Amino acid sequence: MRRMVVMETPEQTSSNGQRNQASWVNDSAHKAWDRTRGAVSELKRAAAIEERVNRNPYGSLAAALGIGYVLGGGIFTPLTSKIVALGLRIGIRLAVLPMLKDEISVLADALGGEGQVGEAGKGRRGSKAAKPSDER
Amino acid sequence: MEIAEQIESTVRDVGARVRPQLDDAKRRLTSLNGSVTGYIKENPGRCLIGAIAIGFLVGKIARRA
Repeated sequence: MRRMVVMETPEQTSSNGQRNQASWVNDSAHKAWDRTRGAVSELKRAAAIEERVNRNPYGSLAAALGIGYVLGGGIFTPLTSKIVALGLRIGIRLAVLPMLKDEISVLADALGGEGQVGEAGKGRRGSKAAKPSDER
Repeated sequence: MEIAEQIESTVRDVGARVRPQLDDAKRRLTSLNGSVTGYIKENPGRCLIGAIAIGFLVGKIARRA
């Protein structure tokens, strides 16, 4: 009986190795993708992102922009200082001006009241002063 | 008196001319806002990742500048 011996040529061996490597890379990529998707869905569930986005879509986008900006290393930059200065200026205007307005209106009321009282007093004094002259 | 009447009539004319355009712009902005918020609500992950990427790029550019 004649035995058939199948021997691989070096080219075949290298092509099999490449195929194995490609399938390993493919498998590991699939695993990594699955893990990433799982992590993302877990994160979504944990942070209730969809709910937040439904509640306040623009705010969520702004928060994501801010997170990206910080991750990009833009926190200690002149642009950040400019943005913070602008925000502070606007905030101070919005917060302090109404308070100042209230204070000024209260002061004006008080001054007006005093003026009225003063005028009334003057009037009283005048009337008192007028009486003696009338008596004369 | 005539000048005041003329100014009043001019303002009224301009208002009548501009009002439809303003209403149209308002309608368009409202519909744009609705479609944008709808898109964000439909694809929250994509929008948030895109926003993070844009913020990251802006941060990188700000750091370099």
